[in-house]
Amino acid sequence: MLSSNKLFYGLGLLLLLFAGACTKNERLSYGLLDQELYEDKTLKTKNKSESEYISILYTNLYQKPISPNELYKTQNVVYSIGDRTLAYEMLLSNYFNQGSVVMPSNSNMRGRLDSFMLDTYKRFYLRYPSEAEKTWFRNYIQANPDASVEMVYTAFAASDEYSFY
Amino acid sequence: MKRKEFIKKAGLLAAGGVAAPYILPSGRLFARSNTPLADHVVLVMFAGGVRQQEAVLQRYLDDSQGVNSAGNIMYNLMEGAPPVSKIAYGTTAAGGTAGGQPIPRLLSQTLQQQGTLFREMRAQSAGHYVGLNTLVTGNPGTAQGLKVRPNFPTIFEYLRKHAGYKASDCWFIGNTIGNSTPLLNSSEHETYGLQYGGNFFAAPLTFGSAGRDVLSNAKPYSDEELAPMYAMKNFLDQNFGLNPEQFLSVRNSPEERTRIKEWMRDVYIRLANGQISFPPVNGGGDSFNIGMAAEVLRAFKPKVLVVNMSAVDGCHSNFTGYLQSLHRADHATGWLWDQIQRNIPEMSGKTMMIVAPECGRNLKPNPIQDENDWYAYDHSDANALRVWGLMAGPNVPQNLVVGSEISPSGRLTDIVPTIAHALGIKDEVMNSGLLDPLARSLFDRI
Repeated sequence: MLSSNKLFYGLGLLLLLFAGACTKNERLSYGLLDQELYEDKTLKTKNKSESEYISILYTNLYQKPISPNELYKTQNVVYSIGDRTLAYEMLLSNYFNQGSVVMPSNSNMRGRLDSFMLDTYKRFYLRYPSEAEKTWFRNYIQANPDASVEMVYTAFAASDEYSFY
Repeated sequence: MKRKEFIKKAGLLAAGGVAAPYILPSGRLFARSNTPLADHVVLVMFAGGVRQQEAVLQRYLDDSQGVNSAGNIMYNLMEGAPPVSKIAYGTTAAGGTAGGQPIPRLLSQTLQQQGTLFREMRAQSAGHYVGLNTLVTGNPGTAQGLKVRPNFPTIFEYLRKHAGYKASDCWFIGNTIGNSTPLLNSSEHETYGLQYGGNFFAAPLTFGSAGRDVLSNAKPYSDEELAPMYAMKNFLDQNFGLNPEQFLSVRNSPEERTRIKEWMRDVYIRLANGQISFPPVNGGGDSFNIGMAAEVLRAFKPKVLVVNMSAVDGCHSNFTGYLQSLHRADHATGWLWDQIQRNIPEMSGKTMMIVAPECGRNLKPNPIQDENDWYAYDHSDANALRVWGLMAGPNVPQNLVVGSEISPSGRLTDIVPTIAHALGIKDEVMNSGLLDPLARSLFDRI
């Protein structure tokens, strides 16, 4: 008699457990809108290491990743020069001299200056330019026929902001 | 104006005139604290750990291998006859004994004859990095970590801050990017730091095959092409507003950078054409480094240049190789002095050279034997704190020996105040409170 009672209570407890585990699926939905996420220069407080800088720069300019061997060699050479800006300017000059950097032509830049600067800020700084920045570059490039795409890209890539993220 | 008001204003004006610093044409505040003794200083860090017994004591194999052969294998730097037996420190002639060909002496007068030898100085550390730190900071660096910049300002920072020198007036030519060497061109000290650091090249890498692959194809931009680039970069940098304490590296002005880049391009071309001079006997990376240091001297006539060597560190496992490296390092240092005197007229007779190792080596060997069955030596005991120093140039007493085994004189922390003394900022450096309290200019130990 005692053992049949135990069996009865045991089955009852098991049924209760199963009953508790069965819950109805809730279908949740959130009202998210598509957002474009961009950097803010005030939040760029960490400096890129040599390898980060070189691999990001290479991908940016050639639109393909740098090989591990090339990265290792370049990183060591950059590290062997005390003035990092100087090293980066030399490196950029070498890249531009190879002729396969993906960039618009000078006439293209001058024909669509505002969108070129917008693209350049997004490409190098991952952010939008301020109105002041847009105005300065528009005026400067219009007033200086020697300001080429290569020099604009070099100025951005060798700038302080590009060394931070 | 009332009399009382006039007196008050006149008093304030006079006080302001006395208190305000004088701005010299060079841009410096205040005058130098002492008359400079030389126009330029070259410090050769004869590094890698040089055992006192084979260097200044000229014991050759006597005090190390139980072989009866003594003599001087550094005869460009020091007075003394070379060994006459068991010659293994030289180069190897075709078909000859390994190391059996001593390198002919380059200098007609040893540096010791031309200057002052401190026979028995004390290193503050038996390690390489702390030792090199000591040589460039004048501080024993007891809490100095590896892979971090020096805790205390370097001589480059003192000179740039207190003597108003440009970055391109101050150079450190390192022989490697290993062992934290690239960090020695500046400290991260809060009142000095990278904004006052010196230029640096690890020459065997910057100008070796890797450097040539990566950098030698740089475009020769004209000034007209570069002007807009620097204008745009300046605009971008001003907008970002980096503080000097956030600098990631030493900074040259745009004009200095352009000059250095042009010089680098020229060096790559001349290297490819075999037009760069090096010490006649090739000593590997050390020789290359010394050769490139001479190129920097020729191009920039810097106020201070520090160059290091380290091949003698092979002594950890190869005593014969160590003797050969020591002999080659002497040859390379003699060659550099000779180049300054004969091929760089702007620096000839106006340059002081200081030579010192960063540490010594042990009294007792480790168990490793080389091809001659000679035992190798590490650096960790009291004998590794025994070092020497040598200086020559204007205002340095000639043919003078200071100190002895029983009466040591000089510390490696003396090197920085000595350079400061030579270039006229001794008081600023001595009063900085950042040196070894026992450090003194070597001129004050004579």
